[in-house]
Amino acid sequence: MATSGGVRNSDDQVEKSLYAKAEKIYPREVHGLFARMRVLGVLSLLGIYYIMPWIQWDGHQALLFDLPARKFHIFFITLWPQDFIYLAALLIIAGLLLFFVTALAGRVWCGYACPQTVWTEAFLWIERKVEGTRLQQQKLDAQPMNARKLRIKATKQFLWVTFAAWTGFTFVGYFTPILELGSRLLEFRLGGWETFWVIFYGFATYGNAGYMREQVCKYMCPYARFQSAMFDKDTLVVSYIPNRGEPRGPRKRSADPKELQLGDCIDCTLCVQVCPTGIDIREGLQYECIACSACIDACDDVMGKMGYDKGLIKYTTEHEMKGGKTRLIRPRIVIYAAVLLAIMALFAWSVMTRTPLGLDVIRDRNQLYRETNEGLIENVYILKILNMDNVAHTYTLKVSGIEGLRLHMDMPEIRVASGGVLELPVRLQVEEGDLDMRSTEISFELVADGNSALTVVEEARFLGPK
Amino acid sequence: MAEEKVPGSQKCIAILWPSFLVAIVATGLFFSAFDPDDLYPFGNETGISRLGVYSIGFLAFWFVSAVSGVGTLYFAMTNCMRSRR
Repeated sequence: MATSGGVRNSDDQVEKSLYAKAEKIYPREVHGLFARMRVLGVLSLLGIYYIMPWIQWDGHQALLFDLPARKFHIFFITLWPQDFIYLAALLIIAGLLLFFVTALAGRVWCGYACPQTVWTEAFLWIERKVEGTRLQQQKLDAQPMNARKLRIKATKQFLWVTFAAWTGFTFVGYFTPILELGSRLLEFRLGGWETFWVIFYGFATYGNAGYMREQVCKYMCPYARFQSAMFDKDTLVVSYIPNRGEPRGPRKRSADPKELQLGDCIDCTLCVQVCPTGIDIREGLQYECIACSACIDACDDVMGKMGYDKGLIKYTTEHEMKGGKTRLIRPRIVIYAAVLLAIMALFAWSVMTRTPLGLDVIRDRNQLYRETNEGLIENVYILKILNMDNVAHTYTLKVSGIEGLRLHMDMPEIRVASGGVLELPVRLQVEEGDLDMRSTEISFELVADGNSALTVVEEARFLGPK
Repeated sequence: MAEEKVPGSQKCIAILWPSFLVAIVATGLFFSAFDPDDLYPFGNETGISRLGVYSIGFLAFWFVSAVSGVGTLYFAMTNCMRSRR
């Protein structure tokens, strides 16, 4: 296809730069306030991730999304598939919290807490320990393969793969009891699917944190695409202060920048070297910026050495940059906060008042109804009773909806263990004369003996000949 | 033209990544409603562990949404070429 015209050319350039083969970014190690905060964040989050599944609570794993048993333990709460709504609500709360924090403080999630950042930091740390500084890494990669390079690369790969495998194992430990999983791993008796998911998640960790890194943020992250929608002129962003820095240029430490007609930026490019996404913050706000503030640390250090004021690159807001004052309280913040609080309150209330008893009524599928020898119309149901409470209960079943409806069941009492499911076949019989319609609505009421708060009512239909 | 410039790896990610996310949601919704032990595909018991059924379900959802992704990409690209010609 022929290209012609300026528009087309610029289009092509955009495409080229969008899909340019990614060059490896070697972020330079950085020290400073924000780097310390990130290390703190990374260590505590990784700590939580790796330690959490080993913590026991009340005889079970404290946090366990037990897929094989179809129940979720979250400390003192046990959720069942019927409680899916609670998990969905938790996700909505997490999402809203992210919106709120983004509106307030920008992309702090990206810079400090996102798993992509956290594991990339861990993998970078391993890489630095094995391969050395940014410069040493670049040199090593430029060398042709030799014994030393092979040894270094193999060590790094070994550590990466081990760490990733452990990550994968821990991940599976959130979905199937990790103590059992661990003992089976030691005996090499891991199930096929368990092995598959350990390798799958391990490989994903290895690929994302070892190789994809900033490309995940740039190309794959949905949040990175829409986070700007939460931004306003009072949202914290990491920004270079061009009024102060420009015109940039190198100079001796002793030189007076005013005499040289230079701004405070000495163009040392350290801010670019430390950037994990490889951008130049001096070019303004860019969507690749994950607000990790590595450039702030790097620049503050340089400013200190030069004897200039810190904060040539800093957390600021658009309002502040234009000489105004940042407003903390603004409609956007208030609305996000109000919605968030309302949903959290609703969630807490519904968890607290949740009835830990489930009843499903399933009609016998083989027959609509049958006539008994005594000439009664009979419908058969299977009741699935789910005791989601922490203790066993005996229940009383009542049925209503049709005059003279008789309930027959084969069990003398309905007793269900804690966390147990009981399948209870019941037969309902009625005189044909008591039926007005072909299909009548009836309701089953199940009440726990000695605890009338534990009551559920479930509607069903009774079918007859009319 | 646009099509030739997009490397295969980018296309793969564009197809596999969103469908992966969709598959997670679909698997969660589907298996909240249906217990693998109650499923009798084509009238047969599966004889597969729950974890196995979840996994197969997930992979199947992933595959199906990836196929739809391939279609989207194909139509988007051929349309793009047509409009440029």
